[in-house]
Amino acid sequence: MATTTQDAAKVGAQVGRSVQRLESREKVTGRAEYTHTMRLPNMLHAKMFRSTVAHGRIKSIDTSAAKKVPGVLHVITIDDVMKVIPNPYYGPAFHDQPILAHEKVRFVGEPVAVVLAADPHVAEEAAQLITAEYEELPPVFDEVDALTSKVYVHDELKPAGTFADLKHLKDAKNTNMALDYRLRKGDVDKAFAGAAHVFEHEFKTQKVLHLSFEPHATIADYRDTGVTLYTASQGPSFVRTEIARLLGWPENKVRIKVPFLGSGYGSKLYIKLEALALALSMIARRPVKVALTFEEMFYQITKHPCTFRIKSGLDKDGRIVARKCEVFWNGGAYADIGPRVTQKSGLTATGPYEIDNVSIDSYALYTNVTPAGALRGFGVPQLVWAYEGHTDMIARALKMDPVAFRRKNLLREGRPHATGTILKDAATEKVLDKLVERMNWSQPFDNGSGTVKRGRGLGIAIKAVITPTTSVAIVNVSGDGSVTLYCGTSDMGQGSDTAMAQMVGEVLNIPTESVRVTPRDTDVTPYDMGTLGSRSLFHMGHAVQRAAEHARDQLKALAREVGEPENSNTPIRELFVKRYGMQAGNVIGTGVFKPDYVPPAPGTGLSDNVTAFWMISGAGAEVEVDTETGHVKVTRLVNVLDIGKAINPQVVESQISGAASMQIGFTMFEKMHLDGGQVTNASLADYKIPGFHDIPPMENITVDTYQSNGPFGAKGVGEVATFCVSPAIANAIDDAVGVRLMELPLNPETVFRAIRAKAGQPLGDE
Amino acid sequence: MTPFELAEPTSLKEAIKLLDPDDPTIRPVGGGTALMLMMKAGVFKPVKLISLRRIENSYSTIAATGDGLRIGAMTTLAALERSADVKKAAPLITRTLKTLSNIRVRNVATVGGALAHGDPHMDLPPVLMALGATLTVMGPKGERKLAVEDLFAGYYETVLDKDELIAEAHVPAHGTKKAAYMKVTTGSADDWPALGVAVVLEGDAGGIKSARIVASAATDKATRLKSAEAALIGGKVDDTLLAKVGDAAADEAEYIADVRGSISYKRELMRVYVRRAVRAALEGAK
Ligand SMILES: Cc1cc2nc3c(=O)[nH]c(=O)nc-3n(C[C@H](O)[C@H](O)[C@H](O)COP(=O)(O)OP(=O)(O)OC[C@H]3O[C@@H](n4cnc5c(N)ncnc54)[C@H](O)[C@@H]3O)c2cc1C
Repeated sequence: MATTTQDAAKVGAQVGRSVQRLESREKVTGRAEYTHTMRLPNMLHAKMFRSTVAHGRIKSIDTSAAKKVPGVLHVITIDDVMKVIPNPYYGPAFHDQPILAHEKVRFVGEPVAVVLAADPHVAEEAAQLITAEYEELPPVFDEVDALTSKVYVHDELKPAGTFADLKHLKDAKNTNMALDYRLRKGDVDKAFAGAAHVFEHEFKTQKVLHLSFEPHATIADYRDTGVTLYTASQGPSFVRTEIARLLGWPENKVRIKVPFLGSGYGSKLYIKLEALALALSMIARRPVKVALTFEEMFYQITKHPCTFRIKSGLDKDGRIVARKCEVFWNGGAYADIGPRVTQKSGLTATGPYEIDNVSIDSYALYTNVTPAGALRGFGVPQLVWAYEGHTDMIARALKMDPVAFRRKNLLREGRPHATGTILKDAATEKVLDKLVERMNWSQPFDNGSGTVKRGRGLGIAIKAVITPTTSVAIVNVSGDGSVTLYCGTSDMGQGSDTAMAQMVGEVLNIPTESVRVTPRDTDVTPYDMGTLGSRSLFHMGHAVQRAAEHARDQLKALAREVGEPENSNTPIRELFVKRYGMQAGNVIGTGVFKPDYVPPAPGTGLSDNVTAFWMISGAGAEVEVDTETGHVKVTRLVNVLDIGKAINPQVVESQISGAASMQIGFTMFEKMHLDGGQVTNASLADYKIPGFHDIPPMENITVDTYQSNGPFGAKGVGEVATFCVSPAIANAIDDAVGVRLMELPLNPETVFRAIRAKAGQPLGDE
Repeated sequence: MTPFELAEPTSLKEAIKLLDPDDPTIRPVGGGTALMLMMKAGVFKPVKLISLRRIENSYSTIAATGDGLRIGAMTTLAALERSADVKKAAPLITRTLKTLSNIRVRNVATVGGALAHGDPHMDLPPVLMALGATLTVMGPKGERKLAVEDLFAGYYETVLDKDELIAEAHVPAHGTKKAAYMKVTTGSADDWPALGVAVVLEGDAGGIKSARIVASAATDKATRLKSAEAALIGGKVDDTLLAKVGDAAADEAEYIADVRGSISYKRELMRVYVRRAVRAALEGAK
């Protein structure tokens, strides 16, 4: 095994090689370390008692029975927490989330009290003995209701002021709106007034879960001299900042260690269990582990349900002259990163189309359900679901071919996006052309006969990467010439360690396999914003490239210094020996990257540089619909993407198929069912994700592009294949059976009901 | 999950002695796959579990008998799936197991557990019921025979006493009978069924002599659809007759609504799938 990898490890041309993932051997042999399976000496386990009401004032919490259980060391409520952390509120966009419920509970499942014991089963047993009394308050669940409701989830909003792009958030009262992103371009009202056709639709998406394979887990080990957290986090630097803030300590006393993650998909961003684990360890003065079960993940973080009202005005030739978008994001009880989702995805709500008159309102709303955050696409899949369904509906109504209609309105390279930013390195045309070619769109399509009908559909999408964000990297060349990379990107299965090592190998002209990537540890790995939004390969990639170049330049200087001729191939070790008289010393290369950015102008949301890069993708689906039952079989799924240059083609392929498969689940059947704020299918027995039999035959194609400002021409790929799957399938269903579904998921009953309604024989409500 | 005591008796008799007819917190456990779900959810908090893992080996074996199969209650679903005897005598069982849950569950789940849980969503009970299988049930007073058809009393309820154990199942061979099972899922492909329909027929498209049609999952317990059976017997099997059979089944069954579908929808699934299952049986399901 080892020798074959070595053989494959050619020097030069590391970028573009399908290098096997560096950690794969460790993972498949069960040696890789994860927080969820980690244990520290003397460690206690925490189990939570959670709210059973969606909205209420806490009247009393009775922990007496729990305290009596043999083996229980502490039973902790917010009162205990506030003795060690007087202001126990945390969060990335707002400091709105208490470490444990404080005065109020805001969703079913919110942690109210915690039991600590050396035996997790004892802790669990005791947690089940805790009771609480609440004065129930009316709840608000729906995102549209939340905008006008007199029920307020929070009495007062407390912006955190963390992000450059969210600096404008203000304290506010009597509102559930955490953020209102606006974009105004041209004169929408006038354009609608003069339009030949106006179409208005409302689309909805459901509440779904990330369901990372490793549930959330954090261990905190607090000492008076410093605190160490071992945590399954997608953003160790942010965790450090937030923990230091809660403690009032300098960051150098806070150490965050992140081993491999059993996936994250956005669920482990910013700060999750870390604040609670910290408080518990401060109280117990022992290491404390907080680890969720799969069932508890339904009460940690979810994707945003979304209602999107979209209205378009067209001239008589089928050109879109005006588009109005109103997007309501159901953020749940705590803002988490919802405001940033609202803003960053909101700005692309009009889609990859060139429209002169645009109005976008995107609202982040508090409701009494599990908080929502980023999930593989940062809000964009919710938007594409709406605008690509809307686009198809317009084409159908105008009796235009959906491709011809899209071509007519497509936003092309060099043209201004709705924000005013000129589209660059965004292959909208190439993607659409390739998709149309692969789908044989120009050929007639057999719509089937009998009870099984066939259809095809497609969609195309655009995303702006979250900007501005910063990454820092260090490349360390040791005295023997071996190379270590320090970078804070969390490898949660996406293969980032391998890709980053490839970039180092490319610059230093060494095999990727010889580069060691240190596990993330804020004591040694420098700052990174977080592993999110397909940003890492671009941002951290740049930092890594710069750090490697910095190291390479120093090695060259070292060679000159010791009298080596230019371009000699003297081994690096010998350079060090010549310089220091023995194998000694280091060369440390550092690299920092932060892209240029112009913040959206207040009021209009316009900016001529709103994003570091654009992501473009398209998907086409062919389906068979069983008209007697509503079952939909996706018989073909074509994903076409602009990802710039592939650093590792094999990893790119698995990111595409993984993202598309995940979106298949969100499209076809995944849904958290809620009853009075209670999730009624909060377990893997009743919440199903796709298995192998659910994955359609897939064709994944990347168009030939080069990201001119990207490291080695590359840009992000983690989310891109999620964007268009849902509308492509819904459009194909419409093509097959003539019914239009406006809400996800497209499960058999939903399809069947629509078919029956269309036939004038609606199914009963029983 | 909270702590509990685990007993591992080495004989079925001993296991029965450890059970208590009046104490619901003492339960037998086979593979534990169903019990663990309830324990993790906190719905069931046992004081003591009596594991059947170490009882006599004979209860984990499958034997071909003159007229069919004898299957020990501790036989795993995976062993059932792979048994050449089962494939020969009752290929419907082999076919059904391929789509029952997943290999991890099948490797540990047992035939006894699949039956005794009384969970209407399981695939094996309707199949065994349609095949006319019977059980040997052992209790403190000795053994009794029980048709699988008579096992279920309601939603997650059986007629077994708390100190009775299923010891073995007896499955008549298909012989010349034609059989099909259709599992209808509305979530992922390996989800629990929204509807299960098992059909075992004697006769051919020219006329059916006898029929057993069993529905599950959409109903609160696996249920024989006797009016659908009656509608099927006699006449030539064509679209008209099948439509009648489907309608009879749809009208006869009593449905439960859950995350897998509403009552109205499950009724339509029943109408369609009873028809399809009869046709599949006649055409020789693969
Ligand atoms: C993820 C998952 C997916 C699943 N999907 C499906 C599916 O698609 N289709 C399907 O049919 N099933 C499915 N199942 C259910 C599975 O088939 C059952 O859990 C299994 O058959 C139960 O067998 P067991 O031996 O594990 O039962 P246990 O959990 O051990 O016991 C179940 C019940 O039977 C009792 N019991 C056990 N043995 C005996 C005995 N010999 N005599 C009397 N009482 C006894 C126990 O006390 C308990 O009440 C799924 C299960 C899981 C976990």
